[in-house]
Amino acid sequence: MTSKRALEAAGMLAVAGALYFAPSFLERGTLNDLWSVALAVVLASSWNLLGGFAGQVSIGYSAFLGIGAYTTVLLALSGTPPVLTLPLGALLAGGFSVIIGYPTFRLRGPYFTIATIGVGEAVRVVASSLSFAGGASGLRMPAGSYDFESNFRSMTLLAVALVWIALAISRSAFGSALSAVRQDIDAAEALGVNSTRLKVTVHALSAALVGLAGGLFAINFQYVSPGSVFDFRLSLTIVLMPIVGGVGTVAGPVLGAILFGWLQLKLLSIPALLSSSLLIYGALLIAVMLFEPKGLLGLVRRLWARRLRRFYIDA
Amino acid sequence: MQQALDVVVNSFLAAGLYATMAYGLAVIYGVMRIINLAHAGIMMLGAYTTFTLFTHFSIDPFLSIVVVVPLFFAGGVALYRTVVRRLPRSGSTPSMESLLLLFGVWLVLQNLAYVLWSGDTQSILTSYTLKSVSLLGVRVGVPSLGVFGMSALSLLVLEFVLHRTYLGKAIRAVTQNRDAALLSGVDADRISAVAFGVGTAFAGLAGTLLSTLFAFTPDFGRSFLLKAFCIIVLGGLESVTGVAAGAFVLALLENVTAAYTAVPTSLQDALSFTLLVVTLVVLPQGLPGLFRLVHVRRRG
Repeated sequence: MTSKRALEAAGMLAVAGALYFAPSFLERGTLNDLWSVALAVVLASSWNLLGGFAGQVSIGYSAFLGIGAYTTVLLALSGTPPVLTLPLGALLAGGFSVIIGYPTFRLRGPYFTIATIGVGEAVRVVASSLSFAGGASGLRMPAGSYDFESNFRSMTLLAVALVWIALAISRSAFGSALSAVRQDIDAAEALGVNSTRLKVTVHALSAALVGLAGGLFAINFQYVSPGSVFDFRLSLTIVLMPIVGGVGTVAGPVLGAILFGWLQLKLLSIPALLSSSLLIYGALLIAVMLFEPKGLLGLVRRLWARRLRRFYIDA
Repeated sequence: MQQALDVVVNSFLAAGLYATMAYGLAVIYGVMRIINLAHAGIMMLGAYTTFTLFTHFSIDPFLSIVVVVPLFFAGGVALYRTVVRRLPRSGSTPSMESLLLLFGVWLVLQNLAYVLWSGDTQSILTSYTLKSVSLLGVRVGVPSLGVFGMSALSLLVLEFVLHRTYLGKAIRAVTQNRDAALLSGVDADRISAVAFGVGTAFAGLAGTLLSTLFAFTPDFGRSFLLKAFCIIVLGGLESVTGVAAGAFVLALLENVTAAYTAVPTSLQDALSFTLLVVTLVVLPQGLPGLFRLVHVRRRG
């Protein structure tokens, strides 16, 4: 057991090290692709903390990405250094999640999900009508505030950190309590778990991490608008990645995010599919729900188990 | 005074459309305990079907209902038989699997529309689109009147079917208690297929009606889905009357804020979402629950 954990730690350190030095030997195009995959991993894994571990499916996560992104741009425009803007964006996103968490977590299952669609839409509509946030046309970052290499390192390290956070939570008492809430909320309450506080806490953590990614997103693209960060399709994508990969596991969201990133790169080269790329994800979602609710990871595990069985029993 | 009359007449007209929209969601939820997230996509598809019939065969949008309703009924039954039925059946509360599955269906429909009709904004312009008539001294657009008439007609037909036919009785029985209905010899699976078809047909009809009033894109329908959901939460699932009452409350709220407060039109949509969240949290039983509560208090 200990050796397994040491191996995991070594693996993560090796990946982090390789990504840290990647800008010095990889081409810019490859780095951009890696950045996108890292963003996908951050979003999918953060969502999975609430949606997977605690079983609370939210379709309103673009709100947190948007709050992080807008906070970063607005503060940068007033001259605040990025060292402060990013944590403040994360803090605001987390704070907002607490405000909407207390009322909406009184709802269960699908009712909570519907309410989150409403919250996400409301945030987008409000953001489009705020004049200090540029309205529907959005805001541009101040000139000369961009350094791709440090942004790349921050995003990829954040992705590795998220895998570590997810792993740590899944093995902690906190993770067990989340799992109890997912499986049977009444039983968990009866055993002394304060389910609302637990859900609000994990919601805040995952929202803050998404807010952090939102800040890096704004710095990388140098521009935010309601259409780019508060888009409903973004909320959809954030839900789809972990579910297709394997909801409630550590590796599933990462797998889903990598598949999503890879598909996105493949699809972007076919002009006809550019505007309809979500068609494929919709079909994938239907297939997963009908045939393999545990996602790709579940499929891989099943195939692997079958192979082992054949090897040991049939041979 | 005139303004108050304006508000009431406009709320009434909007409520008809909202009720049609919401009933499609309510019948599927009632019979199967499934929240049909694909509802938004089906409304969008209804609008585009009407649009295609109008541009290619110059069929009047209101006449296209004759094509849309049977087509969407058949589509709904097919969707139930091929996909929805394979799900593990929901208990008394809807399952997450069904929600996500229909969410996938919505995505497929939406992006199919991008492929078929591109992402451009479309609208249907007929000879009467911009005409209006005077009703109780209030200027009312001809399409709004037509939409209200069609909605009222469809809800009357529905009310008749639900209360005067065997099929309606069976649908109500399965809604109230699926197991008891099964024990009484109701073929619940067949009723579910019919209910899914009826829900889809109502969504298609709502889409057709919406297309005469609003411009649309493949992304169309999301805010209307939330409105519909808000209405069934408010009105409950037990009766057409409840759905109609919920629709009127939402429409009234929208029209009152538009007429008497300085809330900009762009924030109008946020209003129904707020109402939705507030109702879900404060009044999970909806208006019927409130009435029951008042009733019990008065007697006790």
